[in-house]
Amino acid sequence: MKGITKILSRYVLSAAGVTLILLVVNFAVLAMWTVQAKQISQKDYSVSQLADGLTKSNGVYTLSKSARDTIEKRFQWAMLLDEDGNVIWSENLPDDLPLRYSVSDVAGFTRWYLNDYPVYVWRNPYGLFVLGSAKGSMWKFGIELPQKVMENTLVWIPAILIFNGVAAVLLALLFGLRLFHSLKPLAKGIEDMTEKRPVELSTRGLLGDLAAGINKTSAQLIKQEANLSKRDNARTTWIAGVSHDIRTPLSIVMGYASQLEDDSELPQSKREQAGIICRQSERIKALVSDLNLASKLEYDMQPIRRNAIALAALLRQMAVDFLNSGLSDSYFIDVIIREDAQNAMVIGDEELLRRAVSNLIVNSIRYNPNGCAIKVTLDKGIGCSLSVSDSGIGFTQEMLDDLNHPKSSAYLQNHGLGLTIVRQIIKAHRGTTEFRNLPEGGCTVELCLPVSTVEDN
Amino acid sequence: MNDIFDCKLLIVDDEPELRRMVNEILRREGFMKIISAADCKEARQFFAHEKPDAVILDVSLPDGDGFSLMREFRAALAVPVLFLSARDEDENRLLGLGLGADDYITKPFLPRELTLRLRAVLSRAYFPTILMRTEKPIFHLGETEVDLNSGTVITKNDRLTLTAKEFTLLEKLYENRGNIVTGDSLCRAAWGDDLYGYENTLMVHIRRLREKIEPEPSSPRYLLTVRGLGYKLTGVEGK
Repeated sequence: MKGITKILSRYVLSAAGVTLILLVVNFAVLAMWTVQAKQISQKDYSVSQLADGLTKSNGVYTLSKSARDTIEKRFQWAMLLDEDGNVIWSENLPDDLPLRYSVSDVAGFTRWYLNDYPVYVWRNPYGLFVLGSAKGSMWKFGIELPQKVMENTLVWIPAILIFNGVAAVLLALLFGLRLFHSLKPLAKGIEDMTEKRPVELSTRGLLGDLAAGINKTSAQLIKQEANLSKRDNARTTWIAGVSHDIRTPLSIVMGYASQLEDDSELPQSKREQAGIICRQSERIKALVSDLNLASKLEYDMQPIRRNAIALAALLRQMAVDFLNSGLSDSYFIDVIIREDAQNAMVIGDEELLRRAVSNLIVNSIRYNPNGCAIKVTLDKGIGCSLSVSDSGIGFTQEMLDDLNHPKSSAYLQNHGLGLTIVRQIIKAHRGTTEFRNLPEGGCTVELCLPVSTVEDN
Repeated sequence: MNDIFDCKLLIVDDEPELRRMVNEILRREGFMKIISAADCKEARQFFAHEKPDAVILDVSLPDGDGFSLMREFRAALAVPVLFLSARDEDENRLLGLGLGADDYITKPFLPRELTLRLRAVLSRAYFPTILMRTEKPIFHLGETEVDLNSGTVITKNDRLTLTAKEFTLLEKLYENRGNIVTGDSLCRAAWGDDLYGYENTLMVHIRRLREKIEPEPSSPRYLLTVRGLGYKLTGVEGK
């Protein structure tokens, strides 16, 4: 909505601007044109100059050559009236004009027309010099204004300009509001579209075509969204279905293999083989549930139970669980909790976070069969920074690239699902994951989680 | 009924091979009265006629689901139910909805897991701990005898009484003897809160405890500190 209010105000301002510019331009053109016309009518000589071209010597009037040329060229005629109104000299005088004029005649034509000939009058020492143009060549108009008006011009002109400006703004506002009114549903529609709500706008009116376009786009977006989620859903349920179907036969394999392993009547070598079947089945079991979890996390179908978790206590407990479960002496697990992180709480799914950290520790153990020192660190800055480092073989460059810049849903990589699940779990908690090799050897995985604002909840 | 092996068990699962295997596992374990059903219909019949003492129930059955079947059974008889489920979402449903199953096992499982859990469910239901609770243990740490009944420590030439907190801590450590116990769980046991804020208090109590049970409290042999994590009680000998 803010967008169209801005458009409206810009529109009104520019309309007012255009009006003002047009007014100024028009005034200027008018002024220039008037001056120009004046110059056309008196291009070479003004009436006074022509009148001065008439001289009297020894009772004979002579018109100078240049004045005569001018009169002839422009189809003009001229005459000179004496004090009594008699024509005492003339040049090209049309036949339909009388040779004597009364005072009222003179008063009648002085500023206007004589028998439809536009005339100009000038007094010279010998009488009244009258210069005539061809009929219909000049339009004459007398201007009279009260003195007061002329005096107030300086006030009036700006007032008119301002009035025009205000009128322009009001008109623009009126039209703009109409436009605004018809744009409003469109803006709302676009907003809805970004929120993935279905849009159904009326396609009548000025902007009907636009509205129809938006309706169509929205419908397509919703269809695409539905298709996408249908596909994701299908993939997840497919994986869930497969893992479900694998579990029952795997139970039977594990059940019998485990019984054979415990069967004291069998020779030792056979029992060991049964044991191997059992361990490998357990690996398949882990893989199946990892695959299921990874696909659910990828498509946001894993329910996340959010609780406040004291990370420090959780990490200590996990380290102790690993140590108590008979971890070989070649592995060391050290838990370092920085002072300000001791009571850090994060909101999250404890089971999933436990899974993430445990995957990291298991990874360190699995890829460093000859033992290593594992360090679990918790630090609190803007968020909670939890890192698991080891002194082992580290990651290859290729793995680092894969893990730090995952391609979409490419989770079947050669390093297995464990680390992918870690990243997905942290992402589901709106945190970040970073995989690094350490300069002194080994690697570290740093998980940053947003801290709960409610410390004691 | 003299012991849990007298219990009559009903196994409901649509997979015949799995039924056979579970049957075999349980027989090996010592259970003699086992009946199995392939679907809800059969299970209802057996349940009505045989009145089993416990039910092992698959969640997805051809003609219904295990959850509603459990509700039906429970309405008639307060029978312990252990779920065998092939989906890990079921775990969430059981937790989330609090359906009141006594336990659940996700497939695939090891026979040992099944028998251990089943025994636990049965003992809880038919031989509750109130009856089984006997005396608290008496144990030795070297030449020192600790009696958790009276909360006393008897050394060669002295007889000391444990304070309530010392007793709680020692009992917790004894329950997990040989394993590390985090400071957090010790604090939760003694003060009902996590370690943070109690470290010094815990340290003081551990020191006093050592003074009572260790021959040389400054170089402990039985109650060991695991740096940054917690404590561990080792060298425990029975009576």
